Amino acid sequence: MKLLRTLILRPLRRDLLRTALSVAAVALGVATIVAIDLAGDAATGSFRSSMESLAGKTDLEIAANGGVDEAWMGPLTALPVNARFSPVMESQAVVPGVGVVPLFGLDLPWAAGVSVSKALAARLPRGESLHFEVAGRAADFPVARVVDVGAEEFLALDVAEAQKVVGRYGKLDRIDVTVAPGEDVARVEQAVRATVPAPYLIQKPGARSEENQRMLRAFRWNLRVLSYISLVVGAFLIYNTISVSVVRRRAEIGVLRALGASRGAVLVLFLVEALLLGIAGGALGVALGRILAAGTVRLIADTVNALYTTSRPSPVELSWGEAWTGLLAGAVVALVSAIAPAREATGVTPTEAMSRGAHEHHARLRWRRGLVWAALAATLAVAFSQAPPLGGVPSGGYAAAFSQAPPVAGAPAGAMAVAFSQPHPVAGVPAGGYAAALLAIAAAALATPAVVILIHRMTRLVAKRRVESMLAGRSLTASLSRTSVVVAALATAVAMMASVGIMVGSFRETVSVWLDTQLRADISVGARIRAGAGEHPPLSAEVPALVKSVAGVAAVDVYHSLEFHYRGERSTLGAGDMDVVRRYGRLRFLRGEDRDAILRSLPHQDRAIVSEPFAQLHGVRAGDRLTLPIGDRSVTLTVSAIYYDYSSPQGYVIVDRSTLLRYLPGQPVTNLAVYFAPGADRNGVLRDIQLRTAGYGVTIRSNGEVRRTAMAVFDRTFAITWALEAVAIVVAMLGAANSLLALVLDRRRELGLLRYLGASAGQIRGMILTEAAFLGLLAGILGLALGFALSLLLIFVVNKQSFGWTIQFHPPGELLSGALLLVWCVTVLAGLYPARVAARLNPIDVIHEE
Amino acid sequence: MPAARVELRGVSKTYRNEGQPVEVLHDVSIEAEPGTITALLGRSGCGKTTLLNLAGAMDFPSAGMVLIDGRATSDLSDSELTALRRKRVGFVFQSFQLLPTLTVLENVELPLLLAGASKSAEMAHERLEWVGLAEKAASFPYQLSGGQMQRVAIARALVHSPDILIADEPTGNLDTASGDQVLALLAESAVKFGATVLIATHSTEAAAIADVRVRLRDGRVQAIERA
Repeated sequence: MKLLRTLILRPLRRDLLRTALSVAAVALGVATIVAIDLAGDAATGSFRSSMESLAGKTDLEIAANGGVDEAWMGPLTALPVNARFSPVMESQAVVPGVGVVPLFGLDLPWAAGVSVSKALAARLPRGESLHFEVAGRAADFPVARVVDVGAEEFLALDVAEAQKVVGRYGKLDRIDVTVAPGEDVARVEQAVRATVPAPYLIQKPGARSEENQRMLRAFRWNLRVLSYISLVVGAFLIYNTISVSVVRRRAEIGVLRALGASRGAVLVLFLVEALLLGIAGGALGVALGRILAAGTVRLIADTVNALYTTSRPSPVELSWGEAWTGLLAGAVVALVSAIAPAREATGVTPTEAMSRGAHEHHARLRWRRGLVWAALAATLAVAFSQAPPLGGVPSGGYAAAFSQAPPVAGAPAGAMAVAFSQPHPVAGVPAGGYAAALLAIAAAALATPAVVILIHRMTRLVAKRRVESMLAGRSLTASLSRTSVVVAALATAVAMMASVGIMVGSFRETVSVWLDTQLRADISVGARIRAGAGEHPPLSAEVPALVKSVAGVAAVDVYHSLEFHYRGERSTLGAGDMDVVRRYGRLRFLRGEDRDAILRSLPHQDRAIVSEPFAQLHGVRAGDRLTLPIGDRSVTLTVSAIYYDYSSPQGYVIVDRSTLLRYLPGQPVTNLAVYFAPGADRNGVLRDIQLRTAGYGVTIRSNGEVRRTAMAVFDRTFAITWALEAVAIVVAMLGAANSLLALVLDRRRELGLLRYLGASAGQIRGMILTEAAFLGLLAGILGLALGFALSLLLIFVVNKQSFGWTIQFHPPGELLSGALLLVWCVTVLAGLYPARVAARLNPIDVIHEE
Repeated sequence: MPAARVELRGVSKTYRNEGQPVEVLHDVSIEAEPGTITALLGRSGCGKTTLLNLAGAMDFPSAGMVLIDGRATSDLSDSELTALRRKRVGFVFQSFQLLPTLTVLENVELPLLLAGASKSAEMAHERLEWVGLAEKAASFPYQLSGGQMQRVAIARALVHSPDILIADEPTGNLDTASGDQVLALLAESAVKFGATVLIATHSTEAAAIADVRVRLRDGRVQAIERA
């Protein structure tokens, strides 16, 4: 204990700033993990429908793609089981002055009229009746009851009234089954299954919630992976801190060993030092993470709502479990990072109180060995990148997604993207891609000493022109082991930034080109209700005819979209007018198939085209047959072709609307893609459409608006990715400052000597800043090279294996060069304080302190 | 070659140790002429190193004056002091103080590089030849013996032909043979380069080469002996 106090704690206290920087690096890493975890929980935590509060507990749910026929209520209620069957409608209403609120249709036991939740009632003007709008139709109902179910806001109508206002006569969204106490749920399920059509889904309540969580598990897992980057960078820095400790206390270790201390005791001493840094950083990180989480929830919730499903953020709650996990992450990472340098400390022999010069000479000699290992790791990385994905295990990979842009109608809402993954095992785990990425990072780290020496040799002639540059370069290469760790840490952060930047930039460019091709319609018309992913608010049935009747409108692609379940997954079934798409659209198919022939083959046929993500998710190829449960029927569709699409990670199956309406006759229209006649007065046509559809609750957006919205959502979705990258860079910067400070303190005698030899304070300052600039340059070069390699893996291996999306390689040159310049500048800034310390050293004190 | 006369006039130096003043030098007055060797003799802690730092313009006296060619160091600005050290002062230390990351040649060259001088490598080579270590130019300090390291340090101290050479226990870490070589070089530096040489030493051999021997005791001049 005394040894710990004198050899470890005292130096930690003495170098308080360096200790603080090390702790801060761990703290930021842990904070990022905790923040993403807590924010993820809060953003995706609540899929529970408000209706559950109102209708109470149910045991089973009966649902169907395209809706449940209410005619089945009769046979179900006649079943000889002790259970209650309740019809359910779920929609959305626009309440003036409030906005969009859920609207439920239920078998309510009380008088006719609309029931209002207490929370919503508090925001409404007092009155006996309530006016609202559903699917473009105005509705007025007397307020029957105010229901107290906590903070949730909703409206509820009798199911028949709901069907009327929604315009879906005879259809239910589902039937809830409540089994009486004492009755066997399995027996009821069996009886229901025997009664309703085979394609109907019978599932436990909460299955949807579980499905959501499963769907989001990979998304959250990918966010977590990104959040761990900072801690990985932090790990390099802990390694560096302990290495510095070992180098600086080599003589003390030698003395200790001479006095009888065992190798084990030395090992424990340095591991304890790392553990202390890890625990302090972990504790601080947990607290910081809790604060950061509050600011992150909105970002994650936006992505979830835009890409996956509707969720309501719940309050951020830090549990003891999460706090311990954060603390443990900090401690374990610090401990593991310290093992190598701590083991090096045990190698100090009692007779060896070698000078640093000799010690570093050994490091210099080892770079060749590192280069051999780097080559091996790089070769393995290439080999792994060629490996096929592992099937059958849930996983995720980078990819991107858009929300609800009906690809055929070329229409509305927010096409957008994000780089996260598949919920399923279908496409398999891009394990090879991930392993290749890790090996590439390892290869870069191992090659770092050689790169440092190479770059130094290349710049030596230039550097020698200024004594500060010569001394800086020499010092960095002399402290090769330490320099390499800092460069590797910085380079890893730069590489992550560059690779994600290239991937996102390439994806953005691909999407931008795709949108240019895809969005051919002059305007799109959709419901005014703001819809999230998985929601398909209907248009009023009169709208298509009204729009078609406007002079100057050449064609209207009438599009229907609905969520459907296929092999335990949710996707979108879309139906459009393929003839209009053929004549006006620019749908692009894989492998350059004959677009015209494919689209001509769809009307009135059981044929479909599927999006690339759907094909990848379910292993579908052109010519395959898909059996989809649609309404009461199981319909077998032949896949005519696969088309490029970047709007949904879950994918689309598209049929001609004649085919859909054959199986779901009452299926409402959700969007219109409107093509103007050549030479038509565009503003005049638009004005006419606005006038004719006024009062139908529609929103009309121009091609440009749709495009801008799509790209804005794309950019917003990636904001969190950039935020995580920024934290990793900040951690790396702390490391650079820490390391430079260590170099200054470690070489203070040399710096003092330089003053004796005539160096000015400015020259000393310039030397340290040159070292910082050199570190930044090395990290930039290595990080960029590694970043390019990683971006190729992300785009062509991880993304391809996870989603199969085709992303064109478009490195964003300006963004990358700007970011690299920024990183370089910040690295130089990180050297300012160490440079100040170096310039202020008292040469007399340091030269005679031996 | 210009020469410098170093004069300490009534110099005292006081440090503060845990808040308490500690007087290291008290009313010291000595003179060192160009081309001569002045040896400072006395026990450890008697103030030899402090006196050398004052004479080398590395520090200022608490009282009295250090004059170099009649100009008080305390009147010089920081940049003038830096320039003075760069051009007119050379230092040799007991523990050699070579930079381990630089080669022997680069170590010797360093003062010239810091001063921005041209043809620095040629001059460094010249000095290395003078100390007999030209063949070690590309070696690193850890590849040299203690005696060789100190000869390199002397070459470095004289590479810019300083007017003043300060040597603090230059033979303290060396065996007798190496120490003799180093002392011969120091003696020659006074003659060949006309430098004003100040040596702090315990060694009688070092004292023997001096023209003036200043005996210090508890920070005061006990005696000044001229050869």
